Amino acid sequence: MLATRALSHIGKRAISTSVCVRGGHGVAKVEDYTLPPYFDRREVPLPDVAYVQQLTPEQKSLKEKEKGSWAALSNEEKLALYRISFKDSFAEMNQGTGEWKSVVGGIMFFMGFTGLVVLWQRKYVYGPVPHTFDKLYKEQELQRMLDMRINPIEGFSAKWDYENKQWKK
Amino acid sequence: MAHPSQLGFQDAASPVMEELLHFHDHTLMIVFLISTLVLYIIVAMVTTKLTNKFILDSQEIEIIWTLLPAMILILIALPSLRILYLMDEINDPHLTIKAMGHQWYWSYEYTDYEDLGFDSYMVPTQDLTPGQFRLLETDHRMVIPVDSPIRVLVSADDVLHSWAVPSLGIKMDAVPGRLNQTAFITSRPGVFYGQCSEICGANHSFMPIVVEAVPLEHFENWSSLMLEDA
Repeated sequence: MLATRALSHIGKRAISTSVCVRGGHGVAKVEDYTLPPYFDRREVPLPDVAYVQQLTPEQKSLKEKEKGSWAALSNEEKLALYRISFKDSFAEMNQGTGEWKSVVGGIMFFMGFTGLVVLWQRKYVYGPVPHTFDKLYKEQELQRMLDMRINPIEGFSAKWDYENKQWKK
Repeated sequence: MAHPSQLGFQDAASPVMEELLHFHDHTLMIVFLISTLVLYIIVAMVTTKLTNKFILDSQEIEIIWTLLPAMILILIALPSLRILYLMDEINDPHLTIKAMGHQWYWSYEYTDYEDLGFDSYMVPTQDLTPGQFRLLETDHRMVIPVDSPIRVLVSADDVLHSWAVPSLGIKMDAVPGRLNQTAFITSRPGVFYGQCSEICGANHSFMPIVVEAVPLEHFENWSSLMLEDA
Protein backbone atom coordinates (compact mmCIF):
# COMPACT_ATOMS: atom_id res chain seq x y z
CA MET A 1 0.00 0.00 0.00
CA LEU A 2 2.61 2.41 1.13
CA ALA A 3 4.78 1.37 -1.79
CA THR A 4 2.16 2.18 -4.39
CA ARG A 5 1.46 5.50 -2.71
CA ALA A 6 5.19 6.25 -2.73
CA LEU A 7 5.53 5.27 -6.38
CA SER A 8 2.60 7.40 -7.49
CA HIS A 9 4.09 10.30 -5.53
CA ILE A 10 7.33 9.93 -7.50
CA GLY A 11 5.32 9.64 -10.73
CA LYS A 12 3.42 12.81 -10.03
CA ARG A 13 6.66 14.55 -9.10
CA ALA A 14 8.33 13.43 -12.33
CA ILE A 15 5.55 14.89 -14.46
CA SER A 16 5.36 18.08 -12.51
CA THR A 17 9.14 18.36 -12.57
CA SER A 18 9.26 18.11 -16.35
CA VAL A 19 6.45 20.66 -16.67
CA CYS A 20 8.29 23.08 -14.38
CA VAL A 21 11.61 22.57 -16.16
CA ARG A 22 10.07 23.00 -19.57
CA GLY A 23 8.54 26.23 -18.43
CA GLY A 24 11.90 27.25 -16.92
CA HIS A 25 12.25 29.26 -13.78
CA GLY A 26 14.37 31.71 -15.70
CA VAL A 27 17.10 31.54 -13.06
CA ALA A 28 19.18 28.33 -13.34
CA LYS A 29 20.37 26.87 -16.63
CA VAL A 30 18.44 23.74 -17.60
CA GLU A 31 20.99 21.01 -18.43
CA ASP A 32 20.21 18.41 -21.05
CA TYR A 33 20.85 15.48 -18.75
CA THR A 34 18.27 16.63 -16.23
CA LEU A 35 15.50 16.40 -18.78
CA PRO A 36 13.70 13.07 -19.17
CA PRO A 37 15.20 11.17 -22.11
CA TYR A 38 13.49 9.28 -24.87
CA PHE A 39 14.00 5.48 -24.86
CA ASP A 40 12.76 2.38 -26.68
CA ARG A 41 12.14 -0.40 -24.13
CA ARG A 42 9.95 -3.42 -24.50
CA GLU A 43 9.08 -3.44 -20.78
CA VAL A 44 8.25 0.30 -20.58
CA PRO A 45 6.21 1.00 -23.72
CA LEU A 46 5.43 4.71 -23.16
CA PRO A 47 8.47 6.96 -22.64
CA ASP A 48 8.13 10.31 -20.83
CA VAL A 49 8.77 12.39 -23.95
CA ALA A 50 7.96 12.12 -27.63
CA TYR A 51 10.77 11.25 -30.03
CA VAL A 52 10.49 14.32 -32.23
CA GLN A 53 10.49 17.52 -30.17
CA GLN A 54 10.83 20.11 -32.93
CA LEU A 55 7.98 19.58 -35.37
CA THR A 56 8.19 20.65 -39.01
CA PRO A 57 5.24 22.70 -40.34
CA GLU A 58 3.76 19.55 -42.00
CA GLN A 59 4.04 17.66 -38.72
CA LYS A 60 2.41 20.58 -36.89
CA SER A 61 -0.54 20.55 -39.27
CA LEU A 62 -0.77 16.78 -38.89
CA LYS A 63 -0.93 17.19 -35.14
CA GLU A 64 -3.80 19.64 -35.62
CA LYS A 65 -5.59 17.10 -37.85
CA GLU A 66 -5.06 14.47 -35.13
CA LYS A 67 -7.31 16.52 -32.83
CA GLY A 68 -10.24 15.70 -35.12
CA SER A 69 -11.72 12.31 -35.97
CA TRP A 70 -9.07 9.62 -36.30
CA ALA A 71 -11.12 7.78 -38.93
CA ALA A 72 -10.29 10.68 -41.25
CA LEU A 73 -6.56 9.94 -41.04
CA SER A 74 -4.99 7.87 -43.80
CA ASN A 75 -2.62 5.00 -43.02
CA GLU A 76 0.46 7.00 -43.96
CA GLU A 77 -0.67 9.85 -41.69
CA LYS A 78 -1.17 7.42 -38.81
CA LEU A 79 2.30 6.03 -39.42
CA ALA A 80 3.76 9.54 -39.55
CA LEU A 81 2.09 10.39 -36.23
CA TYR A 82 3.54 7.16 -34.75
CA ARG A 83 7.02 8.06 -35.93
CA ILE A 84 6.68 11.53 -34.33
CA SER A 85 6.00 9.96 -30.94
CA PHE A 86 8.25 6.89 -31.24
CA LYS A 87 11.60 6.06 -32.82
CA ASP A 88 11.41 2.26 -33.27
CA SER A 89 8.42 0.02 -33.60
CA PHE A 90 8.28 -2.95 -31.27
CA ALA A 91 9.45 -5.23 -34.04
CA GLU A 92 12.43 -2.97 -34.75
CA MET A 93 13.47 -2.54 -31.11
CA ASN A 94 13.22 -6.30 -30.37
CA GLN A 95 15.21 -7.53 -33.32
CA GLY A 96 18.64 -8.96 -32.62
CA THR A 97 21.80 -7.13 -33.55
CA GLY A 98 24.00 -9.96 -34.77
CA GLU A 99 26.58 -8.83 -32.22
CA TRP A 100 26.95 -12.38 -31.02
CA LYS A 101 28.69 -13.31 -34.26
CA SER A 102 31.46 -10.78 -33.57
CA VAL A 103 31.75 -12.00 -29.99
CA VAL A 104 32.04 -15.68 -30.95
CA GLY A 105 34.44 -14.80 -33.73
CA GLY A 106 36.61 -12.81 -31.33
CA ILE A 107 36.62 -15.67 -28.82
CA MET A 108 37.67 -18.21 -31.43
CA PHE A 109 40.35 -15.88 -32.76
CA PHE A 110 41.94 -15.42 -29.34
CA MET A 111 41.71 -19.11 -28.58
CA GLY A 112 43.52 -19.81 -31.81
CA PHE A 113 46.12 -17.21 -31.02
CA THR A 114 46.65 -18.75 -27.61
CA GLY A 115 47.14 -22.12 -29.29
CA LEU A 116 49.85 -20.63 -31.48
CA VAL A 117 51.56 -19.17 -28.42
CA VAL A 118 51.44 -22.55 -26.66
CA LEU A 119 52.93 -24.34 -29.69
CA TRP A 120 55.71 -21.78 -29.92
CA GLN A 121 56.45 -22.18 -26.21
CA ARG A 122 56.64 -25.95 -26.52
CA LYS A 123 59.13 -25.69 -29.36
CA TYR A 124 61.35 -22.83 -28.23
CA VAL A 125 61.02 -22.45 -24.47
CA TYR A 126 60.44 -25.75 -22.70
CA GLY A 127 63.15 -28.37 -22.18
CA PRO A 128 62.61 -32.10 -22.62
CA VAL A 129 60.11 -33.94 -20.40
CA PRO A 130 61.46 -36.41 -17.81
CA HIS A 131 62.36 -39.92 -18.99
CA THR A 132 59.34 -41.25 -17.12
CA PHE A 133 57.18 -40.11 -20.01
CA ASP A 134 58.82 -42.55 -22.46
CA LYS A 135 56.41 -45.06 -23.92
CA LEU A 136 58.23 -48.09 -22.49
CA TYR A 137 58.45 -46.48 -19.05
CA LYS A 138 54.74 -45.68 -19.11
CA GLU A 139 53.96 -49.32 -19.92
CA GLN A 140 56.14 -50.47 -17.02
CA GLU A 141 54.39 -47.98 -14.75
CA LEU A 142 50.99 -49.23 -15.87
CA GLN A 143 51.96 -52.84 -15.24
CA ARG A 144 53.28 -51.93 -11.80
CA MET A 145 50.07 -50.07 -10.95
CA LEU A 146 48.04 -53.15 -11.90
CA ASP A 147 50.38 -55.44 -9.96
CA MET A 148 50.04 -53.21 -6.88
CA ARG A 149 46.23 -53.26 -7.25
CA ILE A 150 46.03 -49.45 -7.28
CA ASN A 151 42.38 -48.36 -6.74
CA PRO A 152 41.00 -51.90 -6.99
CA ILE A 153 37.41 -51.17 -5.93
CA GLU A 154 35.99 -48.81 -8.50
CA GLY A 155 39.00 -47.06 -9.96
CA PHE A 156 42.01 -48.19 -11.90
CA SER A 157 42.62 -51.88 -11.20
CA ALA A 158 38.90 -52.52 -10.96
CA LYS A 159 38.71 -52.01 -14.71
CA TRP A 160 41.39 -54.62 -15.53
CA ASP A 161 40.46 -58.23 -16.18
CA TYR A 162 43.23 -60.14 -14.40
CA GLU A 163 42.09 -63.53 -15.75
CA ASN A 164 42.27 -62.59 -19.42
CA LYS A 165 44.97 -59.92 -19.02
CA GLN A 166 43.04 -57.17 -20.77
CA TRP A 167 40.86 -54.21 -19.91
CA LYS A 168 37.32 -55.17 -18.96
CA LYS A 169 34.85 -54.64 -21.78
CA MET B 1 47.76 -43.08 -6.12
CA ALA B 2 45.77 -41.33 -8.80
CA HIS B 3 45.87 -42.71 -12.33
CA PRO B 4 46.63 -40.31 -15.19
CA SER B 5 43.90 -37.75 -15.86
CA GLN B 6 41.94 -38.91 -12.82
CA LEU B 7 39.35 -36.34 -11.75
CA GLY B 8 37.58 -37.94 -8.77
CA PHE B 9 38.76 -39.32 -5.45
CA GLN B 10 40.99 -42.35 -5.11
CA ASP B 11 39.39 -45.54 -3.86
CA ALA B 12 39.01 -45.56 -0.09
CA ALA B 13 41.46 -47.61 1.92
CA SER B 14 39.93 -46.83 5.32
CA PRO B 15 36.35 -46.76 6.63
CA VAL B 16 36.45 -43.03 7.29
CA MET B 17 37.39 -42.34 3.68
CA GLU B 18 34.47 -44.51 2.56
CA GLU B 19 32.15 -42.34 4.64
CA LEU B 20 33.69 -39.22 3.16
CA LEU B 21 33.14 -40.55 -0.36
CA HIS B 22 29.45 -41.18 0.32
CA PHE B 23 29.07 -37.75 1.90
CA HIS B 24 30.76 -36.15 -1.07
CA ASP B 25 28.40 -37.92 -3.47
CA HIS B 26 25.39 -36.75 -1.46
CA THR B 27 26.56 -33.13 -1.20
CA LEU B 28 27.74 -32.87 -4.78
CA MET B 29 24.37 -34.08 -6.00
CA ILE B 30 22.73 -31.28 -4.03
CA VAL B 31 25.23 -28.82 -5.51
CA PHE B 32 24.47 -30.05 -9.04
CA LEU B 33 20.72 -29.73 -8.47
CA ILE B 34 21.03 -26.18 -7.17
CA SER B 35 23.40 -25.16 -9.96
CA THR B 36 21.09 -26.60 -12.60
CA LEU B 37 18.17 -24.73 -11.10
CA VAL B 38 20.10 -21.46 -11.02
CA LEU B 39 21.37 -21.93 -14.57
CA TYR B 40 17.83 -22.60 -15.73
CA ILE B 41 16.57 -19.46 -13.97
CA ILE B 42 19.32 -17.36 -15.54
CA VAL B 43 18.53 -18.63 -19.02
CA ALA B 44 14.81 -18.12 -18.43
CA MET B 45 15.39 -14.55 -17.21
CA VAL B 46 17.50 -13.66 -20.22
CA THR B 47 15.21 -15.17 -22.86
CA THR B 48 11.77 -14.30 -21.47
CA LYS B 49 9.28 -12.27 -23.46
CA LEU B 50 7.37 -11.23 -20.32
CA THR B 51 7.61 -7.56 -19.38
CA ASN B 52 6.09 -7.05 -15.92
CA LYS B 53 9.12 -6.25 -13.76
CA PHE B 54 7.48 -4.32 -10.96
CA ILE B 55 5.94 -7.03 -8.82
CA LEU B 56 5.96 -6.28 -5.11
CA ASP B 57 5.07 -8.30 -2.04
CA SER B 58 5.09 -12.05 -2.64
CA GLN B 59 5.06 -13.67 0.79
CA GLU B 60 4.53 -17.24 -0.38
CA ILE B 61 7.63 -17.53 -2.55
CA GLU B 62 9.70 -15.64 0.01
CA ILE B 63 8.76 -18.23 2.62
CA ILE B 64 9.60 -21.07 0.24
CA TRP B 65 12.99 -19.74 -0.77
CA THR B 66 13.93 -19.16 2.83
CA LEU B 67 12.78 -22.47 4.28
CA LEU B 68 13.94 -24.69 1.45
CA PRO B 69 17.63 -23.62 1.62
CA ALA B 70 17.50 -23.98 5.40
CA MET B 71 16.28 -27.55 5.03
CA ILE B 72 18.91 -28.30 2.40
CA LEU B 73 21.62 -27.00 4.71
CA ILE B 74 20.35 -29.23 7.50
CA LEU B 75 20.41 -32.16 5.07
CA ILE B 76 24.09 -31.41 4.46
CA ALA B 77 25.04 -30.57 8.04
CA LEU B 78 23.70 -33.73 9.66
CA PRO B 79 25.83 -36.22 7.70
CA SER B 80 28.78 -33.88 7.94
CA LEU B 81 28.64 -33.66 11.74
CA ARG B 82 28.09 -37.40 11.92
CA ILE B 83 31.37 -38.03 10.13
CA LEU B 84 33.13 -35.37 12.18
CA TYR B 85 32.21 -37.09 15.42
CA LEU B 86 32.90 -40.50 13.90
CA MET B 87 36.47 -39.42 13.20
CA ASP B 88 36.86 -38.41 16.86
CA GLU B 89 35.60 -41.68 18.31
CA ILE B 90 37.58 -43.22 21.15
CA ASN B 91 39.77 -45.84 19.53
CA ASP B 92 42.33 -48.24 20.92
CA PRO B 93 45.38 -48.03 18.67
CA HIS B 94 47.57 -51.08 18.28
CA LEU B 95 50.47 -48.93 17.25
CA THR B 96 51.58 -45.34 17.66
CA ILE B 97 53.88 -43.81 15.06
CA LYS B 98 55.42 -40.37 15.10
CA ALA B 99 55.68 -38.70 11.72
CA MET B 100 58.08 -35.76 11.83
CA GLY B 101 58.31 -33.31 8.97
CA HIS B 102 61.70 -31.91 8.05
CA GLN B 103 62.99 -29.83 5.20
CA TRP B 104 62.60 -31.87 2.99
CA TYR B 105 61.79 -35.40 4.12
CA TRP B 106 59.64 -37.25 6.62
CA SER B 107 60.96 -39.32 9.49
CA TYR B 108 58.99 -42.02 11.24
CA GLU B 109 59.51 -43.23 14.81
CA TYR B 110 58.06 -46.53 16.05
CA THR B 111 58.87 -46.34 19.74
CA ASP B 112 56.12 -48.49 21.33
CA TYR B 113 58.32 -51.52 21.88
CA GLU B 114 61.79 -50.82 20.50
CA ASP B 115 63.49 -47.66 19.37
CA LEU B 116 62.91 -47.73 15.62
CA GLY B 117 63.35 -44.57 13.62
CA PHE B 118 64.22 -43.87 10.01
CA ASP B 119 64.07 -41.12 7.40
CA SER B 120 61.96 -41.26 4.27
CA TYR B 121 63.44 -39.36 1.34
CA MET B 122 61.91 -39.07 -2.12
CA VAL B 123 63.61 -41.20 -4.79
CA PRO B 124 65.11 -38.69 -7.27
CA THR B 125 63.86 -38.97 -10.83
CA GLN B 126 67.18 -40.13 -12.22
CA ASP B 127 67.38 -42.92 -9.62
CA LEU B 128 63.98 -44.46 -10.32
CA THR B 129 63.90 -48.16 -11.17
CA PRO B 130 61.68 -48.90 -14.20
CA GLY B 131 58.00 -48.54 -13.35
CA GLN B 132 58.44 -46.53 -10.18
CA PHE B 133 56.25 -43.45 -9.89
CA ARG B 134 58.03 -40.13 -10.36
CA LEU B 135 57.86 -37.73 -7.35
CA LEU B 136 55.89 -40.27 -5.30
CA GLU B 137 58.29 -43.04 -4.33
CA THR B 138 60.41 -42.95 -1.19
CA ASP B 139 63.42 -44.95 -0.12
CA HIS B 140 61.69 -46.12 3.10
CA ARG B 141 57.95 -46.59 3.46
CA MET B 142 55.88 -46.26 6.60
CA VAL B 143 54.87 -49.91 7.00
CA ILE B 144 51.84 -50.71 9.14
CA PRO B 145 49.83 -53.85 9.89
CA VAL B 146 46.57 -54.00 7.93
CA ASP B 147 43.19 -53.97 9.74
CA SER B 148 44.76 -52.49 12.89
CA PRO B 149 43.96 -49.10 14.39
CA ILE B 150 47.02 -46.89 14.05
CA ARG B 151 47.66 -43.63 15.85
CA VAL B 152 49.92 -41.14 14.08
CA LEU B 153 51.40 -38.21 15.97
CA VAL B 154 52.37 -35.57 13.43
CA SER B 155 54.87 -32.85 14.16
CA ALA B 156 57.67 -30.95 12.49
CA ASP B 157 61.28 -30.18 13.16
CA ASP B 158 61.64 -26.82 11.45
CA VAL B 159 58.76 -25.27 9.49
CA LEU B 160 55.13 -26.16 8.83
CA HIS B 161 54.48 -29.32 6.85
CA SER B 162 51.34 -31.43 6.44
CA TRP B 163 51.07 -35.21 6.46
CA ALA B 164 48.44 -36.22 3.94
CA VAL B 165 47.36 -39.57 2.45
CA PRO B 166 44.23 -39.07 0.33
CA SER B 167 43.15 -42.70 0.03
CA LEU B 168 43.08 -42.97 3.83
CA GLY B 169 41.23 -39.66 4.11
CA ILE B 170 43.97 -38.13 6.26
CA LYS B 171 45.54 -34.72 6.32
CA MET B 172 47.16 -33.40 9.47
CA ASP B 173 49.33 -30.33 9.75
CA ALA B 174 52.84 -30.80 11.09
CA VAL B 175 53.47 -27.82 13.36
CA PRO B 176 56.84 -27.35 15.07
CA GLY B 177 56.47 -27.67 18.81
CA ARG B 178 53.03 -29.29 18.57
CA LEU B 179 51.79 -32.87 18.47
CA ASN B 180 48.76 -33.41 16.26
CA GLN B 181 47.06 -36.78 16.58
CA THR B 182 45.24 -38.65 13.85
CA ALA B 183 44.12 -42.25 13.67
CA PHE B 184 43.10 -44.66 10.95
CA ILE B 185 42.50 -48.29 10.06
CA THR B 186 43.40 -49.69 6.65
CA SER B 187 40.63 -51.96 5.45
CA ARG B 188 42.72 -53.53 2.68
CA PRO B 189 46.45 -54.20 2.16
CA GLY B 190 48.25 -52.04 -0.34
CA VAL B 191 50.52 -49.08 -0.91
CA PHE B 192 49.05 -45.63 -0.39
CA TYR B 193 50.73 -42.47 -1.57
CA GLY B 194 50.49 -38.90 -0.37
CA GLN B 195 52.40 -35.64 -0.62
CA CYS B 196 53.40 -32.88 1.76
CA SER B 197 50.44 -30.48 1.93
CA GLU B 198 51.82 -27.32 3.49
CA ILE B 199 54.31 -25.09 1.71
CA CYS B 200 57.65 -25.58 3.36
CA GLY B 201 60.33 -24.28 1.04
CA ALA B 202 62.08 -25.16 -2.16
CA ASN B 203 61.43 -28.91 -2.13
CA HIS B 204 57.91 -28.87 -0.75
CA SER B 205 56.72 -30.81 -3.79
CA PHE B 206 59.45 -33.41 -3.35
CA MET B 207 58.81 -34.93 0.05
CA PRO B 208 56.13 -37.58 -0.49
CA ILE B 209 54.57 -39.99 1.98
CA VAL B 210 54.17 -43.72 1.31
CA VAL B 211 52.16 -45.94 3.66
CA GLU B 212 52.37 -49.68 3.10
CA ALA B 213 49.73 -51.85 4.79
CA VAL B 214 50.79 -55.49 5.15
CA PRO B 215 49.65 -58.52 7.19
CA LEU B 216 50.92 -58.55 10.76
CA GLU B 217 53.62 -61.20 10.22
CA HIS B 218 55.10 -59.21 7.37
CA PHE B 219 55.06 -56.10 9.55
CA GLU B 220 56.88 -57.94 12.32
CA ASN B 221 59.51 -59.19 9.86
CA TRP B 222 59.94 -55.73 8.43
CA SER B 223 60.36 -54.05 11.79
CA SER B 224 62.93 -56.67 12.86
CA LEU B 225 64.89 -56.05 9.66
CA MET B 226 64.73 -52.27 10.10
CA LEU B 227 65.96 -52.55 13.68
CA GLU B 228 68.91 -54.68 12.54
CA ASP B 229 69.83 -52.19 9.83
CA ALA B 230 69.70 -49.27 12.23
